[in-house]
Amino acid sequence: MSRRSHYPTYNVWDQHEHWDPHTRQIVAQRRTPVISHSFLTRQEAMLVQTLAGVLTDEYRQEVLTFVTQHIDQSLNSPVGESQRKAGVPEKKVLYRLGLSGINEASHRLYRRDFIGLKQPEQEELLRRVEKGTVPETSAWQQVAPQDFFQKLLYDVVNAYYSHPLVWSDIGYGGPAYPRGYVRVEKGLVDPWEAKKDGE
Amino acid sequence: MENRDRVTHHTNHYQGRRSKSLDQRKYQDGADVCIVGAGAAGCVLAYELAKAGLKVVVIEAGPFWNPQTDFASDELATRRLAWEATRIVDGANPLRLGHNNSGRGVGGGTVHFTGVFLRFHESDFRTRSVDGVGEDWPIAYEDLAPYYDKIEREIAVSGPKHYPWGPFKGPYPYPVREPISANAQLFREACEKLGIESVVAPLAILSAPFDGRPPCINRGFCNQGCMPNAKYSGLIQHIPKAIEHGAEVLSDCMVTQVLTDGSRVTGVLFDHDGATYEQKARVVILAGFVIETPRLLLHSSTPHFPDGLANSSGWVGKAIMPHSSHDVYGLLPEEVRLYKGTPVLALTQHFYETDKRRGFARGYTLHAHGARPVGMASEIATQRADGQFLWGRQLREAMLDYNYYARITLVGEVLPNPDNCVTLADEKDEYGMPLAKVTFQYGENDRRLIEHAVVQMTQLVEAMGGKAAHVVADTAHLMGGCRMGSDPVQSVVDSYGRCHDIPNLYIAGASIFVTSGGANPTNTVMALAARTAEHLIQEMSRQNI
Ligand SMILES: Cc1cc2nc3c(=O)[nH]c(=O)nc-3n(C[C@H](O)[C@H](O)[C@H](O)COP(=O)(O)OP(=O)(O)OC[C@H]3O[C@@H](n4cnc5c(N)ncnc54)[C@H](O)[C@@H]3O)c2cc1C
Ligand code: SF4
Repeated sequence: MSRRSHYPTYNVWDQHEHWDPHTRQIVAQRRTPVISHSFLTRQEAMLVQTLAGVLTDEYRQEVLTFVTQHIDQSLNSPVGESQRKAGVPEKKVLYRLGLSGINEASHRLYRRDFIGLKQPEQEELLRRVEKGTVPETSAWQQVAPQDFFQKLLYDVVNAYYSHPLVWSDIGYGGPAYPRGYVRVEKGLVDPWEAKKDGE
Repeated sequence: MENRDRVTHHTNHYQGRRSKSLDQRKYQDGADVCIVGAGAAGCVLAYELAKAGLKVVVIEAGPFWNPQTDFASDELATRRLAWEATRIVDGANPLRLGHNNSGRGVGGGTVHFTGVFLRFHESDFRTRSVDGVGEDWPIAYEDLAPYYDKIEREIAVSGPKHYPWGPFKGPYPYPVREPISANAQLFREACEKLGIESVVAPLAILSAPFDGRPPCINRGFCNQGCMPNAKYSGLIQHIPKAIEHGAEVLSDCMVTQVLTDGSRVTGVLFDHDGATYEQKARVVILAGFVIETPRLLLHSSTPHFPDGLANSSGWVGKAIMPHSSHDVYGLLPEEVRLYKGTPVLALTQHFYETDKRRGFARGYTLHAHGARPVGMASEIATQRADGQFLWGRQLREAMLDYNYYARITLVGEVLPNPDNCVTLADEKDEYGMPLAKVTFQYGENDRRLIEHAVVQMTQLVEAMGGKAAHVVADTAHLMGGCRMGSDPVQSVVDSYGRCHDIPNLYIAGASIFVTSGGANPTNTVMALAARTAEHLIQEMSRQNI
């Protein structure tokens, strides 16, 4: 496993003029996320942003702001959640309870809000949510910690790996219409794709 | 001015074809045939029946997509191509629905499918007789063969000159895809090392120009909707032609009830923008896929049909089947770049038929399968076969090696089990319809098959010079829920999709499958639909319906 990017000088956004207008517009919006929220309260949004940072091991606020915005929008959307496990509350309720549960547990264990914890403490608390061994506060009596953890992780990861800065980190070629790929076989890359460090 | 583009002009509600106002519908006073759902099956039926001169109305819950402005080279933004309305999932292995298997909008699942285009084998239609598991279909491979031929020709399937498994040996109508991606090359080389035969995948994706459409440019976003129109979908092929032949397509219209008069259906009710409309028809065909078709039938119960329409057997909603679809991500010393090229360009059906020594019945297909970052990261984070989650530094570091992974995916047969089913939940949707509740659990045979396949995939990754880094538990496709059969006590429809209980109600699409096979299902879905169309044209011209 790598500690750092194989492609430190690659920036996928440099290619945006070659993308179709619809895709370009979608990706451009991710680079300048709005800070106001429609479903989450200010406190909740800050908590989501902190959780997203811990779950993705990320500190760049521009990326985390987009992740938070995406989750806020999905919570306010009339579109369904594709599937919901029997017995799990609807997404809005799951988030509201899960977020309170995080702070309740944080207070129980450390007498502080989650945001104020040191990173190792935040990780430890999230590990207990993941395993279902978090203190059984009032919120966690209403939702199972793992149900919240899974939904949160899924949503965070989906948004995070949709950000062009993260695409650059991992050397993903990104949108490819109308140009497509010409050199697809082993060992071949098109001139505009990410090249390994120093090559 | 009328927009003359062959695909996009249908997205406009244009003169003479579809009025903006649903009170001025073309067949308002009654159609010959009303098709509910413009998916793989619905689109073939619309085209064939309209071409035969029947008055056809297609009612589709989702939008009439415009590939240029609705699709995008982006995973997150194109989730909306799927049926995202909430379904309740239950059982020991609750299914992942939405983008994973359910289409919505004109074209249905074909808009975001991967385009792998396989036939079922002879044994798939006779699993009970041959292997003592599952159930036999009321038809044999030979009954379907001419329709496989027809569909493959009609959409110019590309594939190898020689196909080594099953009764169809090739050649395919269009030349095999070339070049293939690094992931597909590595897969084929590994197969060869292990003495396993492999081929370049037969695909509903053009290898050369056809019908005004260009060949594939290898951009790799088949699951996000093909922007250049190189991949087949009902949206760009069958529906435009059906409209030319006089069919009317009502998009953004959700059918909420099938109407009956005594023992026959008379039409359907649908909702558009909050208002309810009625569409009358001599024949109604439900082609709404594995979950919505049973939901509609169960929800349309009447005093005459208290357990739901067409459900005297009790089999409506029962024996739904996904394919088991575990993935193995192998970490290699060299770059693979899973994002490049059509996602599936190579496969093997070496393990397709029953081999008693393996300790389970039936078999599977293995695909060399590309992946984009959102799909891969969310799978390895939240769907691991070991039941763990991956997050924080571990996830970040795993994904920094994104370009160094190869991926192989299983398409495994899942045996039918009546306990795996669609029922109605208590909760209601915005139309006042109860949500579907979808219950699923693997059986012992299914689990053994998966274990066997994971071992093979791991060995293939090792033969590539890599090591299996992430094993993901997943499913793909859905089939069954309104199965066909000759015995009205044990099945919902006959082999043409005609309901045993209601002579002018038909069901088409993946829901009428009896078993799942171990291969991607859409060629079979479309071949069955073409067979139903031929039968209906005959029956209706003879005034038998
Ligand atoms: C990501 C993905 C990849 C796939 N890859 C492959 C592949 O490589 N090869 C392969 O063979 N298959 C593949 N498939 C499977 C394929 O898409 C399905 O087998 C096929 O689309 C099923 O056809 P159908 O006609 O039964 O249903 P669908 O194509 O799903 O069509 C059903 C339609 O009915 C509409 N509908 C439902 N209810 C209502 C209602 N009440 N009112 C109005 N409209 C309604 C829906 O909106 C939908 O458009 C894939 C599927 C997915 C999702
Ligand atoms: S890989 Fe080919 S078929 Fe798939 S979306 Fe791209 S151009 Fe279309």
